[in-house]
Amino acid sequence: MSGYDVVVAGAGHNGLVCAAKLAAGGRRVLVLERRDEVGGILDVVHTVGRLRRSVIDDLDLHRRGLRLIAPPVRMLAVRPDGPPLTFWSDAERTADGLRVHSREDGDAYPAFDRHVRALAGFVGEMHRVTPPRLDRAALSDAPGALRLGRAFRGLEARQARELTRALPMAAADFVGEWFATDALRGALAARGSLFTGMGSWSAGTALVLLNDSAANDGGAAGQTVFVRGGNAALARALRAAAEQAGADVRTGAEVVRVLTEGDRVTGVELASGEQIATPALASAVDPKTVLTRWVDPVVVGPQLRWRAGNIRTPGGTARVDLALAGLPGFNGVEDEAQLQGRIVVAPGIDDVERAFDAFKYGRLSDHPLLEATIPTLADPSQADGSGHRMSVLVQWVPADTPADAVADLAVSELERVAPGFSKLVTERVTRTPADLEREFGLPDGHVYHAEHGLDQFFAWRPVLGLARHRLGVRGLYLCGSGAHPGGGITGGPGENAAREILRDLH
Amino acid sequence: MSKRYDAIIIGGGHNGLVTAAYLARAGMRVVVLERRHVLGGAAVTEEVYEGFRFSVASYVVSLLRPEIVRELELPRHGLEILPLDGTLTPLDGDYLWRVNDHSRTVRELRRWSLSDAEAYEEYGQLMVHMARFIKPILSAVPPDQGRINPLEWLPLAPLGRRFKELPRRLKDTFIQVMTMSAADFLDQWFETDPLKATMSASGIIGTFQGVRSPGTAYVLLHHYMGEIDGAFRAWGIPRGGTGGVSLAIASAARSLGAEIRTEAPVARIDVRGGEATGVTLESGEQLQADTVLSSADPRVTFEHLLEPGVLDPEFAAEVRRYKFRGSSGKVNLALDGLPDFTCLPGKGEHLRGAISFSPSLDYMERAYDDAKYGRPSTRPYIDTIIPTLVDPAMAPPGKHVMSCFVQYAPYHLAGDATWDDAARDAFGETVIDTIAERAPNIRDLILHKQVLTPLDIEQRIGLSEGNIFQGELSLEQLFFNRPVPGWARYRTPVGNLWMCGSATHPGGGLMGAPGRIAALELLKACKRGSER
Repeated sequence: MSGYDVVVAGAGHNGLVCAAKLAAGGRRVLVLERRDEVGGILDVVHTVGRLRRSVIDDLDLHRRGLRLIAPPVRMLAVRPDGPPLTFWSDAERTADGLRVHSREDGDAYPAFDRHVRALAGFVGEMHRVTPPRLDRAALSDAPGALRLGRAFRGLEARQARELTRALPMAAADFVGEWFATDALRGALAARGSLFTGMGSWSAGTALVLLNDSAANDGGAAGQTVFVRGGNAALARALRAAAEQAGADVRTGAEVVRVLTEGDRVTGVELASGEQIATPALASAVDPKTVLTRWVDPVVVGPQLRWRAGNIRTPGGTARVDLALAGLPGFNGVEDEAQLQGRIVVAPGIDDVERAFDAFKYGRLSDHPLLEATIPTLADPSQADGSGHRMSVLVQWVPADTPADAVADLAVSELERVAPGFSKLVTERVTRTPADLEREFGLPDGHVYHAEHGLDQFFAWRPVLGLARHRLGVRGLYLCGSGAHPGGGITGGPGENAAREILRDLH
Repeated sequence: MSKRYDAIIIGGGHNGLVTAAYLARAGMRVVVLERRHVLGGAAVTEEVYEGFRFSVASYVVSLLRPEIVRELELPRHGLEILPLDGTLTPLDGDYLWRVNDHSRTVRELRRWSLSDAEAYEEYGQLMVHMARFIKPILSAVPPDQGRINPLEWLPLAPLGRRFKELPRRLKDTFIQVMTMSAADFLDQWFETDPLKATMSASGIIGTFQGVRSPGTAYVLLHHYMGEIDGAFRAWGIPRGGTGGVSLAIASAARSLGAEIRTEAPVARIDVRGGEATGVTLESGEQLQADTVLSSADPRVTFEHLLEPGVLDPEFAAEVRRYKFRGSSGKVNLALDGLPDFTCLPGKGEHLRGAISFSPSLDYMERAYDDAKYGRPSTRPYIDTIIPTLVDPAMAPPGKHVMSCFVQYAPYHLAGDATWDDAARDAFGETVIDTIAERAPNIRDLILHKQVLTPLDIEQRIGLSEGNIFQGELSLEQLFFNRPVPGWARYRTPVGNLWMCGSATHPGGGLMGAPGRIAALELLKACKRGSER
């Protein structure tokens, strides 16, 4: 016997949070990571402002060296043919800037920010609870139901109605009801599409947007928080938290099979052939991989296997890392401070939608949706030498796109909004969705493990009946982004799953 | 001079007539006021060209509620539904032909894919179960989600219980059909592209969404609703066109004592002290009533028929944001003979059902892409039927009428373009070109051609932006959000003014459900009022 109560597969942020919480709960925990590093997807995303307050506090991350940097600017929406829109942490300041473009839109912005915060506040409450069973009421669901009930009653009648209306909306409509300027609409709605296979006109992208602002300070413009020293520092802090709580972390150890006896987990097998006995496996790896590749099909059963195989994972995000000889000069940007947040190229609703159209037919758009950051601006400690580093997320890249084509496109698109940009590039590293799949095991490279569509949400994420972190085989749990409350650097799935696992182990 | 009624119903479409019939049945003194010279609204039959009668707008009976047929004894009033047998999808050099005979369809599908043929059986059974579960929702009165009023929520308790008792598989399917795109939903089951495209088409009819838009899977169920209604066949062509349905309802309403007036356009709903007191016709005539029910859409009702300032600004803003987004047009052809399809030449059974121009999912989605940017589809989805094959009286002997429902034709065109005569002609030509690609003789057969753009539908039928469902059937405009959150219970902020058209739950289609529920809800309210 290995002596471990729980093995956690995958040392991404959720796996580490789950492990730390389990170990703190007195369980003997082993984390197995395929790569040589921990942190998983932290290596791909830009910002960490969605990280749960409770995770930061309970895991004592500040004491473990985590320093968060929140620049005053949240988002800069740059355009090829017009001045940029700047979104500050201060909604009033943002509104002042927007009034230059449209008085009405500027006036509406602070109210929209409050609207998003109110609705996202409720979604944030949903994040905390384990989704209820829909087949029978259980006493253990009562606290969660009460919590949601209280939160819903806390909304004004009008907000409650708006909530049911907003959740299934298209982001284009959600922002379109408030603003007239297309550039403003495009920039705000883009957050409902990033990392997903849905354009701004797809129903449910309003929910993705609200989800992104849930339980954090995002508001209308979304969060922009960097980790001092880069996201790897957060990964180190999470690892330290897990290890100091008593968990063992092994890298270079790839799980390839879940061992079962009857309908219960007995262990895992690694790629090396090594077998580790454990009564419980918590997978931070996506549910499709677990249920269609790791567990014996006979144990999963044909129906669940069919459903797991149908979990939608339309991955289409690529990341391009650039080394720059100097700061790019974006059209109409006067102050370097404006470049410290997320720099978004989403000039209008139709532009974003067209980029998505191409993806539907398996093509790469000529003008994709881009989100870039220059972390060396807000955090000079990340700079080496005199230049800057820029990372660019390119949304909707078909899996088979050559890396060079993606990088060329990213650079030429940035050239359109920052003349002279291409001359600044001294180095570039690209990871396509296919690379993300290879490197991180993401299904089809989908950063969220499973699409954040209305059909894979809350009590039916990843599929109905498996939303309570238990995957239908005794001792098999899901603690990654494929579980409620879903993708993004929240630590929510890891924390919620640990709560459920500890409940079962008692 | 003014007459006094218990209830005035604005609009003589099928929902207005249903409301009138139910109120009259309960002993109310009611009058229906129709703007046009013909009854039926969008469910109307007109002799557009001499000897040729067309279901001008709505063209099949999809979901007419069987309880309405029964309770109003519509067959006694002349309603007869003729079977619409199957769907032909013409392709390049091939076709997909599904018929009502299940085993024949499965044989046809085997030609395409063995696994699809197998899945088709299972899928059909599942969808019938699902439709059985959904059905009661079509008769429910939505509660106000903004407050917990047991009177409103308790009637839904049986639905909740039934959901809990559903097998896991069906629960899963329920959530999927409510949230997925038609294409994603069907992708789980089938691999034959024309099959998925043709099935998915029912999910986008009348909406400004594509087959890949989340939320479009729900309407796939509608096709299966008919199968569970027993003896009454809900999917077919009414004898005499869809106007036949309206006339049967009107006849029922009259026999129950309702007064029905055509060419009686309402100019204004009269409001005193925040309460509707009656209407004023364009002729100046005034009619008074305890209750006014409007089967017109919210824009017509609240923005055109009410004096400015009657509504509080918040409600007025919510009406303004209600989405219409008409997306379809209609081409009605008078033909000298029958079209001859290259893929399946000659006359035959295959022409007796629907003929669907939907060769692939990408074709459907591209049609939508055009519309998203304000252009009519270069190659549209077309759903055609030739009613004269089952109802020869619709045209002179030997001649035919062909009804072509066309999507997409966006109401709002890009840039400065408008739906002028040139745009209408171009739209008609696109439709005929598309048909001619599969049935080259069509051009030579055309005797007359009526092309209706969304603007024409708006102006002729009175449907804002030409939306055939009186407002987009997107997820955020369903159930307790239809038409305005907090006002889904057929009442309005104006006292004694009610809504009873397709803009209320459960929405559009030749269903009659909104009209019936509104009437029953009003009767219940009257009863409660008199008890107090």
